[in-house]
Amino acid sequence: MVDFALTEEQTSLRDMARKFAKGEMAPHAAECDRAGRFPEEIYRKAWELGLMNLNVPTEYGGSGLGLFEQCLIVEELAHACAGMTTSIIANCLALEPILLGGTEEQKRRMLAPFCADYHLASFCLTEPSGGSDAGSLKTRARRDGDSYVLDGEKCFITNAPFASLYTVFATMDPTLRHKGIVAFAVPRETEGVLPGKEEEKMGHRASATSTVRFEGARVPVANRLGAENEGFSIAMRTLDQTRTPIGAMSTGIAQAALDHAAEYSKRRQTFGKPISEHQAIQIKLADMAQALHASRLLTWQAAWTIDRGGRGSLESSMAKCFASDAAMRVADEAIQVFGGYGYMKEYPVEKLLRDAKLAQIYEGSNEIQRIVIARELLERYA
Amino acid sequence: MEIAVLVKPVPDAESRLRPDPKGLGPDPEGVKWVLAGYDESAVEQALLLKEAAPGTTVRAISYGPVARAEEVLRAALALGCDTATSLEAPPDASTDPVAVARALALALARHPASLVICGKQAGDDEAGIVGPAVAELLGVADVGVATNVRWDGGTMALTLDRSVEGGLEQVRIPLPVVLSLQQAWNDPRTAKLPNILKSRKAHIERIAATEVEAATAPSASTAARRVSFRLPPARTGAQMIDYRTPEEAAEKLVRILREEAKVFP
Repeated sequence: MVDFALTEEQTSLRDMARKFAKGEMAPHAAECDRAGRFPEEIYRKAWELGLMNLNVPTEYGGSGLGLFEQCLIVEELAHACAGMTTSIIANCLALEPILLGGTEEQKRRMLAPFCADYHLASFCLTEPSGGSDAGSLKTRARRDGDSYVLDGEKCFITNAPFASLYTVFATMDPTLRHKGIVAFAVPRETEGVLPGKEEEKMGHRASATSTVRFEGARVPVANRLGAENEGFSIAMRTLDQTRTPIGAMSTGIAQAALDHAAEYSKRRQTFGKPISEHQAIQIKLADMAQALHASRLLTWQAAWTIDRGGRGSLESSMAKCFASDAAMRVADEAIQVFGGYGYMKEYPVEKLLRDAKLAQIYEGSNEIQRIVIARELLERYA
Repeated sequence: MEIAVLVKPVPDAESRLRPDPKGLGPDPEGVKWVLAGYDESAVEQALLLKEAAPGTTVRAISYGPVARAEEVLRAALALGCDTATSLEAPPDASTDPVAVARALALALARHPASLVICGKQAGDDEAGIVGPAVAELLGVADVGVATNVRWDGGTMALTLDRSVEGGLEQVRIPLPVVLSLQQAWNDPRTAKLPNILKSRKAHIERIAATEVEAATAPSASTAARRVSFRLPPARTGAQMIDYRTPEEAAEKLVRILREEAKVFP
């Protein structure tokens, strides 16, 4: 039986995230966006309430939620501020390689600090010369006795300036392409680990992004995740897990855009009546609501598929791609409903457009998602 | 030390209330029932006292239709209360506060507490009678409009503040006592995610409607009954001021404040 009703547990998790988003995040969203401020006090509160490390199982001290519950929470947080949400959920992305590739000993050793106290971790895959072409990494790993030596540079790394642990993908031999990639957990204090300065971004300005350079950084063999040729698979399986929440984040942005536009349309008067009574605006709101609703259902279904043990590559790519494209359109239309005011930074909707843009790019660009969708699709016609 | 905190399910502030078809009360259809306002402050106070005196346990008690009462009890458990008791309201039960107090006293007879804390009134009907009525039924003292309750020395007495007209009273009172708390003077905590998950699986003691009915019967025949409920008249719209310069806007605003709103002399 297909069921779209949330359980009481799911409802209470969603309500709790909504309360946090409204009470703690939303009041600071505009200010952090304007100043490009990383509101660590908010992230610390999110950690205290258990809103970080959502995917870490309870036996390691995390929240141990299924992907569906994670998505419910992410949508609520993103409704208040997508940038803060990116920083809050970055640990889920960065710690996933440890969950997927780590030994029992590594999981206990590496995950415990994140559950015992507020710490940030960063997922280091993308490089200046390539993001989507993950098989062509240039960061080198060289075995030297009981350790590996890392050299190279990663870019667009979320939370990097503030992280205490980096999960890093490097190649033993570029000619081996995917098969030469190794995954490591690299503590910040390792000599030769050099996070760069914070980037100025178009959106998600409450989140911090920087490069991370590795200059002869020595990582013990005990911190290698999985086998030497397993890195690429760990990276891809990580993204299979974390792609769906980007659909949820996009849904949260779109919901915020529709909420603002609908409320404004009932207040704003033209030609003697609220603009919500003009069909031109009604058609916009109806289209926005449809795109939003479809985004949420695709996201829920992708999460449900993965929670039931499916790989969900097709479903999660569809959810991420559709929902982020939809969030762009819905945010764009929200600005149009606001007219000139929508273009002003004093009003909340232009931020939504800038925030939505990133969801089309990161965690696998929407072009890559479409390639994945087409590949999965065509296999079924073999 | 046993503390009992009395909590009432009230409609979420974001729920849209409308009268039921008979116009006798708010239509429960589509309403979300939550722990809110005065009761949230009361739970927070109970937890602060618990944290200040190790060994203290807090029992949350609620009266109402089972689903609603258990929803707010789970919220109280997620915040840190130790145990919970739900009193099932009989079908078509009176909303008379004295009948509610009798039901709550039934739970308190089963689980005696030296300190009973509640909000000074409910966030929905704002009757403000349940706290004093419970004290009367238990035969103990009660203090109303209390804030900032702390242990006075050991755990046999309390010191608390009362905001009164034009000043702040400090009151000392020995236990046992029923305190009705002012709202929003403390900053109620938010439940942590793992505690929410635990609270969903927690055991809630249930006292059945038949037992509750027997305990509340004496007051039912004399109870006040609500005979109608309607929404307040719709607010009139905001007045927009047309202006060309800020000076003109200010002049017009001052004129309206003086002549129409009569805020200024």
